[in-house]
Amino acid sequence: MSNPGQIQLEKIDDYRWRIPKSEKPGMRVPGLVYADEKLLKDIFHDKALEQVANVAFLPGIVNNSLAMPDIHWGYGFPIGGVAATDIEEGGVVSPGGVGFDINCGVRLVKTDLFHDDIKDKIQDLVYALFNIVPAGVGSKGDIRVSAKEEKEILVKGAQWAVSKGYGTQDDLDCTEENGAIAGADPDAVSERAYERGKAQAGTLGSGNHFLEVQVIDQLYDAELCDTFGLNLGQVMVMIHSGSRGFGYQVCDDHVRGMVHCLQKYNINVPDRQLACAPVKSREAQQYLAAMRCAANYAWANRQCLMHLARLAFEKVFSKSWQKMGMGLIYDVAHNIAKIEKYVVDGKEKSLCVHRKGATRAFPPGHPELPDRFKKTGQPVIIPGDMGRNSYLLVGTEKAVETFYSTCHGSGRVKSRTAATKSVNLNVLLKDLESKGIIVKASGRGTIVEEAPEAYKNVNDVVNVVHNAGISKRVCRMRPVGVIKG
Amino acid sequence: MPDRGQLQLKPYEVLEHTADIGIRVKAPDLAGLFKNAGLAIFQISCEKKETTDKKVHKIAVAQKADNLEELFINWLNELLSLSAVEALIFEEIQITKVSESLIEAVAIGSSAKNYKMNTEIKAATYHQLKVEKGPSGWVAEVIFDV
Repeated sequence: MSNPGQIQLEKIDDYRWRIPKSEKPGMRVPGLVYADEKLLKDIFHDKALEQVANVAFLPGIVNNSLAMPDIHWGYGFPIGGVAATDIEEGGVVSPGGVGFDINCGVRLVKTDLFHDDIKDKIQDLVYALFNIVPAGVGSKGDIRVSAKEEKEILVKGAQWAVSKGYGTQDDLDCTEENGAIAGADPDAVSERAYERGKAQAGTLGSGNHFLEVQVIDQLYDAELCDTFGLNLGQVMVMIHSGSRGFGYQVCDDHVRGMVHCLQKYNINVPDRQLACAPVKSREAQQYLAAMRCAANYAWANRQCLMHLARLAFEKVFSKSWQKMGMGLIYDVAHNIAKIEKYVVDGKEKSLCVHRKGATRAFPPGHPELPDRFKKTGQPVIIPGDMGRNSYLLVGTEKAVETFYSTCHGSGRVKSRTAATKSVNLNVLLKDLESKGIIVKASGRGTIVEEAPEAYKNVNDVVNVVHNAGISKRVCRMRPVGVIKG
Repeated sequence: MPDRGQLQLKPYEVLEHTADIGIRVKAPDLAGLFKNAGLAIFQISCEKKETTDKKVHKIAVAQKADNLEELFINWLNELLSLSAVEALIFEEIQITKVSESLIEAVAIGSSAKNYKMNTEIKAATYHQLKVEKGPSGWVAEVIFDV
């Protein structure tokens, strides 16, 4: 497809586009972009496709440098980028393929409440949630941890939170990696990261992070909805947050070292934010050990946030969260690098799969899924903007072509400065209120920067991953209460 | 210490980026460039509230690197990191020594409690980074992850 002066795309089918290796000398594999013509118009606006081509330079990259339909311009990797490298063939890990907010992710909680049960109390609920969930830049929580406990969080992740009474074993069963990825080594983490992470457990953060009360407004697969216990009008809670300052510091610490690895290991990449090292090298092993600590910190954080949300519901509805059926549907990471096994050219290989703004989506029967998801496939949670929809999907076998990965959200289309210039806060709040959406944020600027018009329509994004077959729609939600940082 | 509200000119201009924030800073010398870029972080991320807390906090900042671009990124990320750890917003920066591989400075700030936070800057990145000396002084362009 014509994209004057930039990367050219070859159409494979209505939802898949190839960037040939010839587009940029040095690409080791082609690029493969999941999008339809409508979304491509937005994708052409910035430098995301060039970043897809740049990722194809990574040593050991296998098959394709992949881009999901919510792709947009990032730093190093595009947001919405997926790359897998072959560890035995000198494959690298790049902290830029994970990002500063390590294990930024989403969790979806169901309730047995219906919209009619809460519609007169939404304002109270939003205020209760806002008061109990620490939000905003550098926010500190009431969940205070000692230095010794912080180390425990880094190894045990959400399991630490559950051991403190902030949840149940059932929550862990419904969390990617059971809320604690193996191989986390607290000794690989700097003192500064410890200091920066202190007092931020159980905090939401700012920017695009949020806690939303949502209502299911469309069912796509009756059987799967039955299995997950989901119906039209049912109230859900979605939490989007990450590893906060702890993760930023881990990434910064390791990018500092990795920029020197480019020369040391004779690696040629067109952007230093793609700094990387062979997975087997000491530098990469140190990074992965620290990254896993940050990933576990993030799972503990989202577990604590869910605990706080349950407390807010208990306060407003004067019932225990168990009686309101507030069970976790699932928790997914969408900024992470993981070692996973795939068959490549007929041989099983261990690959380092980077998902930078992309979600793991294991199919039914995948050996790493717990029994409860063996028939359904792994739940995938796709948040949209604060004015439109969010989705629950499941993984499919066809997604083996994306190393079982799918999109992670709607993807920005307008810069924060452009949104700030074009969006009037009062008009926006009124418009959202007319749609039955109550918003409460710690900073007024955040609401404007995160206005729906700054994002692609999540319905278009999910349409592509569903029709391309790399995940399957289960149900759709619309927001009724939004807490922003 | 100068009141930030009285600053006549921003020490930076914003560059368009879809998801993050890019800035361009200019200065006649390297010390000015590092200072302006450092102050830009805090001017983008927060606004001072009315406060009676006039307490001034001073922190020594020192960074070394193999080259100027690495030094620039390390410096900005060190300021972000110190600001988070010390819960301070830096309002003034005094550069005591700077070369292409070393910087020593004093960052002067006020408690973060005296500020209304807007945009969280997570880190400075190498993506499309420029630190150059031109005919009319130094220019740097940097994209922050927000």
